[in-house]
Amino acid sequence: MGSGKRQASGPTSHSPLVTDLLRRLAPHQVLTSLAERRNYRYDAIQFGETPLAVVLPETTADVVAAVQAARAAGVPVVGRGAASGLSGGAAPTAPGLVISFTRMTGLRIDPARREARAQAGVVTLAVSEAARPHGLIYPPDPASFRTSTIGGNLAENAGGPMCFKYGVTGDYVRALQVVDAAGEVHELTRDAYDLAGLFIGSEGTLGLMTEATLRLVPPPLVTRTLMAHFPEVGECAEAVSQAIAAGAVPSKLEFMDRACTNAVEDYLSLGLPRGAEAVLLVDTDGDDLPTVEEERALVEAACVAAGGTVRRAGTDAEAAALWQARRSVSPALGRIRPQRMNEDIAVPRSALPEVVREIRALGDASPFTVVQFGHIGDGNLHPNILFDPRHDDPHAVHDLAHRIALVALRHGGVLSGEHGIGTMKRDFMRDAVDPVTLGALWSVKRALDPAGLLNPGKVLPEEVKG
Amino acid sequence: MNNEIRGAVPGGQGEVMAHAVDACVHCGFCLPACPTYALLGDEMDSPRGRIVLMKEVLEGALPLADASPHLDRCLGCQGCVTACPSGVPYGELITAFRGWSEPQRARSPLDRAKRSAILKILPAPKVFSVAARVGQYTKPLAPLLPAALRAPLDLLPETVPAMQPSPAVTPARGVQRGRVAFLVGCAQQALTPNFNAATLRVLARNGIEVVVPEGQGCCGAAALHTGARDEALTLVRRNLAAFHPGDYDAILSNAAGCGAGLKEYPMVLRGEHDEARARAFAAKVMDISEYLHRLLQAGELEPPLPASRPITVAYHDACHLAHAQGVRAAPRALLRFIPGVTVQEVPEGDLCCGSAGTYNLEQPELASQLGARKAKNILSTAPDLIASGNIGCHTQIQSHVRRAGSRAPVLHTVEVLDRAYRGEL
Ligand SMILES: Cc1cc2nc3c(=O)[nH]c(=O)nc-3n(C[C@H](O)[C@H](O)[C@H](O)COP(=O)(O)OP(=O)(O)OC[C@H]3O[C@@H](n4cnc5c(N)ncnc54)[C@H](O)[C@@H]3O)c2cc1C
Ligand code: SF4
Ligand code: SF4
Repeated sequence: MGSGKRQASGPTSHSPLVTDLLRRLAPHQVLTSLAERRNYRYDAIQFGETPLAVVLPETTADVVAAVQAARAAGVPVVGRGAASGLSGGAAPTAPGLVISFTRMTGLRIDPARREARAQAGVVTLAVSEAARPHGLIYPPDPASFRTSTIGGNLAENAGGPMCFKYGVTGDYVRALQVVDAAGEVHELTRDAYDLAGLFIGSEGTLGLMTEATLRLVPPPLVTRTLMAHFPEVGECAEAVSQAIAAGAVPSKLEFMDRACTNAVEDYLSLGLPRGAEAVLLVDTDGDDLPTVEEERALVEAACVAAGGTVRRAGTDAEAAALWQARRSVSPALGRIRPQRMNEDIAVPRSALPEVVREIRALGDASPFTVVQFGHIGDGNLHPNILFDPRHDDPHAVHDLAHRIALVALRHGGVLSGEHGIGTMKRDFMRDAVDPVTLGALWSVKRALDPAGLLNPGKVLPEEVKG
Repeated sequence: MNNEIRGAVPGGQGEVMAHAVDACVHCGFCLPACPTYALLGDEMDSPRGRIVLMKEVLEGALPLADASPHLDRCLGCQGCVTACPSGVPYGELITAFRGWSEPQRARSPLDRAKRSAILKILPAPKVFSVAARVGQYTKPLAPLLPAALRAPLDLLPETVPAMQPSPAVTPARGVQRGRVAFLVGCAQQALTPNFNAATLRVLARNGIEVVVPEGQGCCGAAALHTGARDEALTLVRRNLAAFHPGDYDAILSNAAGCGAGLKEYPMVLRGEHDEARARAFAAKVMDISEYLHRLLQAGELEPPLPASRPITVAYHDACHLAHAQGVRAAPRALLRFIPGVTVQEVPEGDLCCGSAGTYNLEQPELASQLGARKAKNILSTAPDLIASGNIGCHTQIQSHVRRAGSRAPVLHTVEVLDRAYRGEL
């Protein structure tokens, strides 16, 4: 989490790796200066090692060339999209080659097949923007959708507010083009062995994704938005459980606690209820207005029954502003403390009220500000520990994060709903995954990447022998 | 972002820079807002990347010369500031950094001469006017000149009008409602004298007395943003001496870049003895559109005559108005106040047109790509007229829109209003 090594790591212009890269690729695709390389060592959460070189490919062939050069030099390869990742995934753990996909932005829409063919560097939002004139959208919508790339979304199997009703990135992949550790290109579909599924969510540790065929859907004809606020955090979770139990299938169900609401209010001044302990944002949608209204009424009733106050978004503009508020939560927290440890747990919905309250209590008993928000419809919560690295003890932060992770596991939840394991939660994997399964994961990793060159140090903790 | 800047650069400017870097959580939300990232697609030419580069240089982990090419490509448009939910004051960071780093830079004698010429000519309207005229006659020779000299010539309008000095006092017409001080600006007096003439007419018509305080000069923004901190400080202090904020309801500028520059005075003087004076001054500074909008909201703005036919106006948000000063609603409301006018939003409206400060002169290639992109976006709205509130955007947009084959007039917001009052719209 520190600022990494102070000096450049390793030789630059004359290293065999760089010479080889320059032989295989155009000069503008290979970054070698210190200033350039220093800027490819972080993601949105962590700083890692300075890479030896950075490649900015434009085609799959460029990626193949880069992987072959790294392989020949025996250095690790880290794939990188927009580096908006929140688990340290794109931050190198050792000096090596970073392949940054931001210039691979080719995108084609096939309206007849309701498909998009996107290169890895296409920004998530761009897919929906290109599809909309054809009456189609691409639903997966991480809060980072203006910045993050399809490649990064695939590697993290990103979710978003829409995923309660519409599913996550992986649910929209029809086919995937992958460059493996040997530099071979694979065209994977979802038939027979679902190898595409294996690469989705693998965080760049099994192969590099270069292109994807994505499924598009028509947008719902009507959407209704409401906001409810509650005097207590657990009540908000109860409202969600009850609404869903009553049969509502909202398209989005998002929650933010008081600190989040206030951080966003400082940024956007939207008139959010600063005094409320929890705010819930809900969209219901569909093609039939009475059904959509009925669903909103179900949610509204559940909120009121749980002790909440409900406000309906009157106009589309008002609804859009509320959603912008929700998407800004995470970075707006920077206004409170410069750094944060971001958890990404998912728990069964029935356990939500209890989990939310337990985490609140852990936070209150600690010296840190702990805030919570998330896609609460899926039981996906993002408890964040806010801290100041100049004054706070990193071990205490890590310890609290661990205890929060254990709350999730104790209630039958998982360590990562969508942000991935990366380096941030790698250590907690042993709590979550039994040794036999961990061994199986390692076997897969070794089969696909025998030399261990793909994003080493991520996801899988070292096996304990014996 | 964790940093050690305070130790490395003590004092007010060090504090400004450390605070900005502290606030960045490197989330990358600013990336899509950045014009150079949009063109180049690499991290060093993004806001987040530049913040890291500045931090590393300040901490001594990276030589300045390595970082400079990427920092030089920053337009200072502050699109990233609007996009940043964490409230990182990127504009203050880059300005302070340029002031800190410029004295340490190794520049070629030609480069140095060019920069100093720009900084001498821009703030001196009379010299500028002569230079512009000379430039005009040189225009046909442009293809023969080296790129560095060609860029400024490309930007000159077809005709360079005669200067129209502003009177020291323009009395209010009818009942006097207010009294303001007016910063007349530099290059704009030479290139587009009607901006000021229209401003004075519109204010007077609405009962506002306008004083042009003697001794005022260039706002200093150009010097400040190119790192010439000493020159900037001289200009800043000269204006602080010329304007007495207590005497006026407001201090007005009709050039977004200058207005933003005036509002920056407290940051420039952070930790200096005249910081408090700078605060009092900046608190009174307003863009002309903000001031007129207040009159409009108070029901005190005289209604303009309806346009002679329905008119579609593409309103271009100048970066230094929208991003640096947060003024977006006011100019739109003023335009809509004119019966018959429809305001069109420009696609990618938040992306800089490429003219920020001296960018056209220093980074002609990128500036021209951005200019062409802006012209295309503006023309996609099929406007009858294009309006903006900044001289830099005005020349850039005019030149690129013409290049794209459109004859649509490009006007200052206040010129549109002025035309409507005179029944000429
Ligand atoms: C403010 C904020 C809000 C967020 N909200 C959400 C949210 O709602 N839901 C959500 O799921 N996530 C969210 N995230 C996390 C992040 O945006 C996602 O994980 C996103 O999918 C990462 O995309 P990226 O392009 O930035 O990838 P990066 O961060 O660059 O990389 C992420 C991982 O993918 C690997 N990778 C990248 N490209 C490739 C490729 N082409 N092939 C193989 N591996 C690759 C990297 O090695 C790394 O392990 C948020 C992040 C921020 C900063
Ligand atoms: S949006 Fe703000 S906090 Fe995020 S990387 Fe950019 S400057 Fe830093
Ligand atoms: S000021 Fe403009 S050009 Fe500079 S980093 Fe910010 S958005 Fe990019």
